[in-house]
Amino acid sequence: MVDVSQHELVPEHSVLDKAAIEDVLDEYDIDRTDLPKIKRTDPALPDDAEVGDVIKIVRDSRTTDQAIVYRMVVD
Amino acid sequence: MQHSTPKEIGSISFGLMEPEEYREMSATKIITADTYDDDGFPIDMGLMDPRLGVIDPGLECKTCGKHSGSCNGHFGHIELAAPVIHVGFTKLIRRLLRGTCRECSRLLLTEDERGEFRDQIDESRKLGRDLNDVTKAAIRQARKKDRCPFCGEIQYDIDHEKPTTYYEVQEVLASEYSQRIAGAMQGDEEEGIERTTPDELAAKTEIDLTRVNEILSGSFRPREEQREAIEKALGIDLTEEDTNKLMPSDIRDWFEAIPDEDIEVLGIDSDRSRPEWMILTVLPVPPVTARPSITLDNGQRSEDDLTHKLVDIIRINQRFMENREAGAPQLIIEDLWELLQYHVTTFMDNEISGTPPARHRSGRPLKTLSQRLKGKEGRFRGSLSGKRVNFSARTVISPDPTLSLNEVGVPDRVASEMTQTMLVTERNVEEARRYVANGPNTHPGANYVRRPDGRRLKVTEKNAEALAGMTDQADEEGVQTVGPGWEVNRHLVDGDIIIFNRQPSLHRMSIMAHEVVVMPYKTFRLNTVVCPPYNADFDGDEMNMHALQNEEARAEARVLMRVQEQILSPRFGENIIGAIQDHISGTYLLTHENPHFNETQALDLLRATRIDELPEQSGTEEDGTPYWTGRAIFSELLPDDLNLTFTGTVGEDVVIEDGQLVEGTIAEDEVGGFGGEIVDTITKVYGNTRARIFINELSTLAMRTIMHFGFSIGIDDETIEPEAREQIDETIDDAYDRVQELIEAYDRGELESLPGRTLDETLEMKIMQTLSRARDNAGTIAEEHFEGDNPAVVMAESGARGSMLNLTQMAGAVGQQAVRGERINRGYEDRTLSHYKPDDLSAEAHGFVENSYTAGLTPREFFFHAMGGREGLVDTAVRTSKSGYLQRRLINALSELEAQYDGTVRDTSDTIVQFEFGEDGTSPVQVSYDEDFDIDVEGIADRVIDSEFEDERERAQFLGDRARPTNLSEHADDRLGDETGVTSDD
Repeated sequence: MVDVSQHELVPEHSVLDKAAIEDVLDEYDIDRTDLPKIKRTDPALPDDAEVGDVIKIVRDSRTTDQAIVYRMVVD
Repeated sequence: MQHSTPKEIGSISFGLMEPEEYREMSATKIITADTYDDDGFPIDMGLMDPRLGVIDPGLECKTCGKHSGSCNGHFGHIELAAPVIHVGFTKLIRRLLRGTCRECSRLLLTEDERGEFRDQIDESRKLGRDLNDVTKAAIRQARKKDRCPFCGEIQYDIDHEKPTTYYEVQEVLASEYSQRIAGAMQGDEEEGIERTTPDELAAKTEIDLTRVNEILSGSFRPREEQREAIEKALGIDLTEEDTNKLMPSDIRDWFEAIPDEDIEVLGIDSDRSRPEWMILTVLPVPPVTARPSITLDNGQRSEDDLTHKLVDIIRINQRFMENREAGAPQLIIEDLWELLQYHVTTFMDNEISGTPPARHRSGRPLKTLSQRLKGKEGRFRGSLSGKRVNFSARTVISPDPTLSLNEVGVPDRVASEMTQTMLVTERNVEEARRYVANGPNTHPGANYVRRPDGRRLKVTEKNAEALAGMTDQADEEGVQTVGPGWEVNRHLVDGDIIIFNRQPSLHRMSIMAHEVVVMPYKTFRLNTVVCPPYNADFDGDEMNMHALQNEEARAEARVLMRVQEQILSPRFGENIIGAIQDHISGTYLLTHENPHFNETQALDLLRATRIDELPEQSGTEEDGTPYWTGRAIFSELLPDDLNLTFTGTVGEDVVIEDGQLVEGTIAEDEVGGFGGEIVDTITKVYGNTRARIFINELSTLAMRTIMHFGFSIGIDDETIEPEAREQIDETIDDAYDRVQELIEAYDRGELESLPGRTLDETLEMKIMQTLSRARDNAGTIAEEHFEGDNPAVVMAESGARGSMLNLTQMAGAVGQQAVRGERINRGYEDRTLSHYKPDDLSAEAHGFVENSYTAGLTPREFFFHAMGGREGLVDTAVRTSKSGYLQRRLINALSELEAQYDGTVRDTSDTIVQFEFGEDGTSPVQVSYDEDFDIDVEGIADRVIDSEFEDERERAQFLGDRARPTNLSEHADDRLGDETGVTSDD
């Protein structure tokens, strides 16, 4: 089986810890459910991601070098 | 006129209405179906009861005392003789019937399941998902139960016959059960099923033999468990379906018993909506203002469709009551009930499938409640989101190259209809009076004035002079004179800003602000360079103009919407406005061979620009007269310090040094719309105003140039000499031979198939390749024989219009015609036309056109060409409708997204869509970046600093080169004061 999360075109997905989540939610003044969603079954997710976790995605960007996006795991 | 203060909406809640609420808000009960009596007065408690509101002017509303116009009308109500189902809720009713117990009305879910679904609903609410998915799943789960988990009652399936009938499907013992058993006991030899004797059956089912015999004779009906035993033993089905119709009253009783906590599991708020309210017992009657009757010319009243429908409902309702009181048979009652249901149903929705629509006497289907709201012309799309507006004009457009691209020519008759409001003060009172004095019919005039007391006066020929204070009439006839504090609605004049629009408005450049230039005749005039953003041409296109009515709107339009602010397109970040068509041919002629012009000619070329002095001459002719080159003249339009080098349209380098075109041809890629390099650079580096000046001057210079040289095209420009023709024929014959060879190889079976293709496909591909190469070769030959100054070549080379391919088809050969990307293969069996033998694979039999357009096509070629052409037409027709719908859906999906001040993009529920607008928070119009040109950050910074600081000292201070003063002692503060920004407070 191919592990897509290792593919060069798949950006890095990492699970945020509690404190970091709070920081993100504070920064944007939102609830966790206002974040964009990602499916638990998404093959790009790290194995230890669970429903309700917040994932940080660091993408390469042509214009800003790096674009950071957060998503909440849903089922 | 007094306006009520606007109020903020606190909240809106959607739910069901309780019958009691209908009664409470009702102004009167309606009991008679008649509207007016013989004297023309509305009948009390009739459908036009004066308590329901007033529509006739002068009358007073009996409920609120207001007059028509200010009274919004009041609801009445009809007490229905029997409950009927509300059509809007048939699906929900079905779901509830299926999900609740027929006996105790409780939701057929255990405590655990309820908890699970409750949690799921909460979760869905939080995530903003569709609650329907959860409730559907809950009902599905509940339907699986055979028995109620609370009272143990057996549950039956519910059948829904659209639109409003529900049946309970019960399994009962079939009437011919004995025959079925006997038949099964016979067995079937063919299928190898053995005979069963009554003894065996008795043994298998553990029923007494005598009972079995009784059952077989049909004198005893087997009980439930006996039936099941027999069914199992014989492998047959002894039941048949029995349907039991559920009357609306039954359903209402059923729903009344559903406990509150049960419906909350299904996502229904029991405080606001009880399921039994979906069965109507009271029907609200819309106020007369919602269904006004019209008086026809002959004095007859014509009632609204809704009134007609209400009349039907009341009539049936009354008949129902009379019949029931008279003790009519159940059958009659049921028929009337159904009829009442039909009328109430069509009152709300008259387009239900399976129900014949209620019709007007004339046969036209009635327009009832749902038809008023639905669809493109409905209340939402037609009346609320799309309204007709005042201060707008529409007429045909035509070109005017003398206008600036910011301007629009407005016909005088439009200008004197559209007005702008002038607030009269001491400073402009003279001007205002001048407008008023002209009256409404002379152009810079005025149509209305408004006195300080709020009265609006129409300016007429008669009172114009008096209003302007030019006669003594003022005192005599009580006409006052316009003075400070008045408002004057004056005609549009040159320089006013208006909004201009062409449909379809597909992008933001479809609506731009223009400055008015009032002109004679009847069309709107625009500069041709704004055609691309509007996608306009002058073959009869019409455009709309909107006159702005307040200072804020005018300021916003001027700053944000003016054409020059839209030169750069947000679609691709480059200029969308630029030279087009003849402008490009013109600049090409001017710069391509760098022709010489004498002084008169040079001045003539530049006469419509700001330049009124020629630059230094480029040189002298042999006879001693000075000349100026085309490039030198073009350079006059460029900013003095522009430096640019790039590869241009013609493939040569274009070099601009210090605002002088040193080398290169100016054509499409240099100055055209859609990313002309020079226009783009000027816009980005020198600003929109400089770009507007450049484009305006460029287009006038180009027009002068093309007029100087003359530019026309004729049939001779697309014909080539016989030698070339022969050469072309030769190549085509050659290609025919090669195709023949391919076909022969294929027939002999020698053709090898390409990877992934069948042999047939390979052959087709190879033939197509050969033929398209033949066309290209023909094109190259034709091209070689064209002169560089051939107008068609000039247009194709410069990118003004047309391509070399068009030229090839005109002079060389039209080439292969295609339908669906293949050679033409359709028509008769195994051949395209009956002119060819079946299975003829040759080029000419499949739509190869060897003639050119100038030479003329043979009838067969013409036919194939028409086939290909038709496909193109169909494609565009299909594409526009498809993409239009696609765009509508996209817009609806994206319309609520908004970039917030923190840089995020969110929807209306504050859910984040992008954490930073477009990942980088930049506008494509404000940023210039592409693969080849990185952003020159340092260059930009240097330029900004250079222009910002005049002397070296300030600049150094800003950049922080200067050493900071060392603050050794507080006593030094006084001397530093002006520099640190701190002043001593003693």
